[in-house]
Amino acid sequence: MSNSPIIAEDLVRHFDDVQAVKGINLEVKAGEIFGFLGPNGAGKSTVVRMLTTLLRPTSGTARVAGFDVVKDADKVRRSIGVALQDAAIDPLMTGAELLSLQAVLYGIPSAMMKKRADELLERVGLTAAASRRVSTYSGGMRRRLDLALSLIHQPTVLFLDEPTTGLDPMSRLTLWEEVRRLNKEGTTVMLTTQYLEEADQLADRIAIIDHGKIVREGKPVDLKASVGAPTLIIKTNIDQAENAKTVLSTFGDLRPGAEGALGVGLRGGASQVTDVVRKLDEAGVHVQHLEINEPSLDDVFAEATGYRLEGSDNAPSAGDNGDEEPAKKKSRRGRK
Amino acid sequence: MTKNSIRQTLALGKRSTLELFRQPALVVPSMIFPLFFSFLGNSSFGRTTSLPGFPKVSSYLQFQLAGTIVQGVLFGSVTGAAALATDIENGFFDRLLASPTSRTGILFGRLAGSVLFGAFSTAVFIFALLPFGADVSAGIRGIIAMIISGALISLAVGALMSSVALKTGSSEAVQGTFPLLFILLFFSSAFFPRETMSGIYATIAGFNPISHLVEGIRALSLDGFTASATARAVLVPLAIAIVALVIANSQLNKRLRSN
Repeated sequence: MSNSPIIAEDLVRHFDDVQAVKGINLEVKAGEIFGFLGPNGAGKSTVVRMLTTLLRPTSGTARVAGFDVVKDADKVRRSIGVALQDAAIDPLMTGAELLSLQAVLYGIPSAMMKKRADELLERVGLTAAASRRVSTYSGGMRRRLDLALSLIHQPTVLFLDEPTTGLDPMSRLTLWEEVRRLNKEGTTVMLTTQYLEEADQLADRIAIIDHGKIVREGKPVDLKASVGAPTLIIKTNIDQAENAKTVLSTFGDLRPGAEGALGVGLRGGASQVTDVVRKLDEAGVHVQHLEINEPSLDDVFAEATGYRLEGSDNAPSAGDNGDEEPAKKKSRRGRK
Repeated sequence: MTKNSIRQTLALGKRSTLELFRQPALVVPSMIFPLFFSFLGNSSFGRTTSLPGFPKVSSYLQFQLAGTIVQGVLFGSVTGAAALATDIENGFFDRLLASPTSRTGILFGRLAGSVLFGAFSTAVFIFALLPFGADVSAGIRGIIAMIISGALISLAVGALMSSVALKTGSSEAVQGTFPLLFILLFFSSAFFPRETMSGIYATIAGFNPISHLVEGIRALSLDGFTASATARAVLVPLAIAIVALVIANSQLNKRLRSN
């Protein structure tokens, strides 16, 4: 039997008639950052909730940190750190009080509690805010506190469920740095995200989940290479779309484009762009917008699922300026 | 319970107590309204103490003290259970479940806050009404017994309300039970002795558990520190608390199994 810290075999979960997870197999090796990428409702959080013992699988098995998530649930809980997207932090408590509570819940001796809490507060940059109530914290501070809470017992496996959703770019970068640092120190991280860039930046390997099934799995670089050809995206009048598709299909496989755009994987590479433009012109297609993108995780996702990841066009970039909530941004494809 | 699970329960109890007292908007009304009703009752019904069937009292407030205590405790217990439902709604409950915390500790920790609040509010009502004529015949020992009784009533009502929280996972549903508790309070002997009632009202008050909770405390207030009064004040809420805890624990297990 493999001694990987996270192993799931044929994991299935039903909610009444809804089959949320349809037979997931995955293995996360020690020391990896594993990205679990998918749109809202794909089943990411359900899988994480099963792996963290919060939900029982309808069928299938999973072992985390060497323990069965159903039979040895308490041992799993002692071995893992969990920062859930939808698990609130009590706003009436202070950061220091919550860390003390968490330390007690994990059975940390009183003599060690303060030292551990102080170390973690310093690590996540919340020492000055430790005695303030959480209700006064920003979104980024709450996430950093959440991370500190999940580390109080020094877990070897860490689950982060959409850790940067709703964060501003600076907070996102800070959290990414902390995740990398933890990983360098030997912590295995399973990270769910709906942000392509986050998976691309952080994960050693990723799995794309769609409608409860893993549709692609591998290293980001390999997955992007598997798409091969660069994607040419054009926008045209809707009444010329069929003509445009006919022309584009002679240059390669059609790929989904966001918001009415048409895409094609150029078999002959980027040098074919001028030929495509000429042929479109000859066919009477008026091109309003054109762009060429190197293969990205968005393309991998689109090829695997047949559609672009919701929000892939407006998911925030760590390098952009923006507010707490993701603002509508231009296409992020082809960044890597 | 292991040493560690007791430590966890105490830590969770501390959290629920801090949480309760950090919400003055919730705590203050649960103190003010029962006191307001007491003074209103004293001025409106003060002369009813001479009615046939009314026990011998130094003032209506002396009679009313027990009803005031139970009314305040009902307020506080609903607030505590609503906080448990809020934990379920906002995911804090999941945070606890993802940790190796004793499952019953999660429930008992939450109830510990209600129990402390029950004891605290009982003490506040006694000492706030004493100068206005709400004598406690049982003396200081009686006051201690009344505070214990208030804490046990909190445990009983808090556990019942927590069952609703665990069953529904909705703070609105828990708060929605409050009018029912209020109706039960008015159909009890909280404001008048059962001996002055007649017909269906007397029958309902006789079966109403709130009547028995109120009368236990009232016995200490009126009869002095007797074994019978102390037993009524402590054993009745204790018995109800045990039943309520069994129901709450069963609801907790059902919720855990449904995951």
